[in-house]
Amino acid sequence: MKRQIAKYKEKLAADGSADPLRIAFLAKDDILIAEGPADLLPLGEEILARLNVVCAVLAEPSLPFIDFLVRRATGEEPCLVPRDTETRTFLHDIPLLRRADRGDSEKIAALLRRRKGIIVEGLGIVATGAFTPEQAFIHYCSVFHAAFVKYLLDVLQDGFLLPGEEAAFADLRQSWLQPIAIGDLTFASGPLEDRTAILAEIARVGRYTVGKRLVDSAFGNISWRDGQTILISQTGAHLDELAGCIDPVPNDNSSTAGVTASSELAAHRRIFEATGARAILHGHPKLAVVMSMLCEHQAGCNIADCWRQCPRVRFVGGTPTVAGEIGAGGLAEKVAPVIGETGRALVFGHGVFTLGRNGFGEAFAALVEVENWCREEFCRRLQRETSGTAR
Amino acid sequence: MKNSLNGWHGSMLRVDLSTGESRREPIPESWLHGYLGGRGLGVRLLRDFYRLEPLAPEMPLVFAVGPLCGSPAPTSAHLAVVSRSPLTGTIYDCSAGGRFAWRLKSAGIDALFLTGRAPRPSVLAVTPQGVEVMDAAALWGRRIEATVAALAERGSVAAIGPAGENKVLFANIIMGEGNSVGRGGLGAVMGSKNLKAIVVDGDRKTVIADPQRLQAARQDVMRLFKASPVIFGQLGIAEYGTPTLVDLMHQRRMAPTENFRRTVFDAAVNYSGPAIRRAFEVKKDGCFGCPIQCKKSTKQGEHLPEYETVSHFGALNGIADLHSIVRSNSLCNELGMDTISAAATLSAWGEAQGRFPTAEEMGPLLEATAHRRGIGDRLAEGSRRWAVGAGKPQLSMSVKALELPAYDPRGAYGMALAYCTSNRGGCHLRAYPIAHEILRKPVPTDRFSFAGKARIIKIAEDTNAAIDSLVACKFSFLGASLEEYGALVSAVTGHEFSPQDLKDIGERIYLSERFYNLENGFSMADDVLPERFFCEPGSSGEGIEVPAIDRARFTEELTKYYRIRGLTDAGRFADAGFLERQP
Repeated sequence: MKRQIAKYKEKLAADGSADPLRIAFLAKDDILIAEGPADLLPLGEEILARLNVVCAVLAEPSLPFIDFLVRRATGEEPCLVPRDTETRTFLHDIPLLRRADRGDSEKIAALLRRRKGIIVEGLGIVATGAFTPEQAFIHYCSVFHAAFVKYLLDVLQDGFLLPGEEAAFADLRQSWLQPIAIGDLTFASGPLEDRTAILAEIARVGRYTVGKRLVDSAFGNISWRDGQTILISQTGAHLDELAGCIDPVPNDNSSTAGVTASSELAAHRRIFEATGARAILHGHPKLAVVMSMLCEHQAGCNIADCWRQCPRVRFVGGTPTVAGEIGAGGLAEKVAPVIGETGRALVFGHGVFTLGRNGFGEAFAALVEVENWCREEFCRRLQRETSGTAR
Repeated sequence: MKNSLNGWHGSMLRVDLSTGESRREPIPESWLHGYLGGRGLGVRLLRDFYRLEPLAPEMPLVFAVGPLCGSPAPTSAHLAVVSRSPLTGTIYDCSAGGRFAWRLKSAGIDALFLTGRAPRPSVLAVTPQGVEVMDAAALWGRRIEATVAALAERGSVAAIGPAGENKVLFANIIMGEGNSVGRGGLGAVMGSKNLKAIVVDGDRKTVIADPQRLQAARQDVMRLFKASPVIFGQLGIAEYGTPTLVDLMHQRRMAPTENFRRTVFDAAVNYSGPAIRRAFEVKKDGCFGCPIQCKKSTKQGEHLPEYETVSHFGALNGIADLHSIVRSNSLCNELGMDTISAAATLSAWGEAQGRFPTAEEMGPLLEATAHRRGIGDRLAEGSRRWAVGAGKPQLSMSVKALELPAYDPRGAYGMALAYCTSNRGGCHLRAYPIAHEILRKPVPTDRFSFAGKARIIKIAEDTNAAIDSLVACKFSFLGASLEEYGALVSAVTGHEFSPQDLKDIGERIYLSERFYNLENGFSMADDVLPERFFCEPGSSGEGIEVPAIDRARFTEELTKYYRIRGLTDAGRFADAGFLERQP
């Protein structure tokens, strides 16, 4: 348990989602194990004592947008309801607690009795894991991701509303929204034939996606077509820890051992069938998610569930963008027909799929290009929308 | 009786089969809020009876639905049957899906509470208008299909077969569509009451407090089902049924083979999910109203076996012939007998004989068991009693006399612990650690490590006790969680239940069951795996080492589990007044 806590504490710091000095991780085995700043641990202990779960994490995000998000919420609004895939599918909504209650373990625990993760103004994000520290880490990342996406969408729509917000955004732009450079990365030149070499390349490319802060570790999947078998990351696998987490899935379904494969197996299969590609990379880069949700056809459109029902193929910076829910929710049917020509596709509120015809280098470069374009375009639009509104 | 509740009807029907008398009576609201329904309500209703012998006429047999039954909540057409098991001696419940549960709720009751022994073979008919106890002389001795066919016009049927009539200790109660109330021999309890079948019908609606919230919660659940590879994935249970696990268990080297002497059976490929699909024109089937439809049947309507059944009638007995396995499954269903215990008992017997039953011998042995003919009379007592009687107790691969299902504990240490802490004996479903140790849901855990498993098992047991009381299907939780089901039950009842509230209820139910068991003489000595698992390794290979379980580490984690549960290091209650403090 101690090793797991140390590992996920380090991951939160490394992926930039939490201030390394403000992460408290607590877990119950038959005794309590706690790591973190002394001022947070007593609160964490009180919260955990009130819940029938294994683990809790209390951490302050590395950027102040969480607090801005809470302060921008008007009145007694009890929760945030973003519409990105993470929130829509796994969180439903994110309860908020105001600053006055940030030290009240009873109120915090009461919200955590209902939801996996919450936002506490002046404290940050508090998330639990029913079974393991890894779960608490994933729930923290989900809340962080959803809140990040919502904040950027809100700012773009409403401008800067609070003192200090524009300056903070300038910091965010500097630390998070710079173009990603990949000149330092190397990729095996394909096509890859040796199974050991393929698995090693998948593991390496997975580490790249997280190392470049392109994708959070639990928010993506990857595959390689090896003859009549697809090698694909398992459900719940972390992109930076793929060794031993790749399932071989035969195309003819002669074995079902791959029932543990990623929930996007159907999409990967359809894309391979439609394109003849060898490699697929899928992740949820934050700005790509944000930009996928900006639709120029909204005026006069009466579709409410855009992520599911929108029949259009839109283009975001030249990348075809479609609707479709994850797993068996229809995404596979929507992405496969549109991805072949450009080698990339966006899914509304969800993330990016990219292709490699012979190796992962092409897929990785495409993923970076999509995200870089979205970062630049977002900043350009924000500048346009907020000129004159800043405080 | 006017009902001011949403979700529940707030009433139960008591029937004394000895006299034929019946009466409806209200269920205290505190019990509904404190135990929900299903398993929990059944456990509460047994509080004054749990010391009775399982086959004593006064021992209640409770059929209880939950607040979700009768609503559009996914996988909620389920009920629990609760009594004391003649096989294990423990408090016992079993969840089963199907139209029977729905119709029982439509009869206007949350629970059917049966006591006594009918003077002659009988059928009980329940409707909102009343109760009728009918003569069943013409049905006694008949198999399930014939019994159901004879009664189907009157409503949904739950019946026993010859195995229940003959009090085979692992006799099932079978619902009209083929769903089993399985494992612990509640069919024998029904048989001991001279009750051949129950038929229910009605038109009472389940009142829903907040239909709009229910619809939103339902959509959340469906979205999670679609996101779950195990449920709606291309290789998931909606496509292949639970036999989709055959290839996975083979690959993980944890498929019990030849009475658990080995853990790999190369011929398992003959009865894998894809093999079954190839051999039969498989159609989707399943519980009434369930969107998953994980059961599979032939075009002619013959039910195809579940994972545990194919593996135990296959690998556990060294049988590679799929058609023989399907025949064994169908025969058990017709005779009203549990497939896991039947196959495991025959496997223990086979090991003692020096050879396992052949495919050809399987049918006659099952018939002999159900009718208690010849050797079948001893096999009908289950593997523990048979093995002790034969002077070879070590051959019974069971915990608390309940035969272990098809997940070898040497390949999943949470499973090893959960078999022992389960209040109904060696069952995989109480904590269902296969979800995280094998299927990676909700999060993967290291299957070859005990670290952290004590608390995980405790929390999962609490969670599943709540699920069994809602009542919902456990497979739902390979996608959804108590967050979504908390929203469903809050929407249906109008009473707010958070996921933690539900786990608190689950904990109360689990501890009540353990209290009953301890009062009936169970102790830490019963919370243990068969010796084989501590001294014989599994079948290592292909880079996977399957050693014997480290006994010291197992015991350490079990002691830790007791501590986490708030019990003494010997697994007992420090507080003798625990039950009195519960609603």
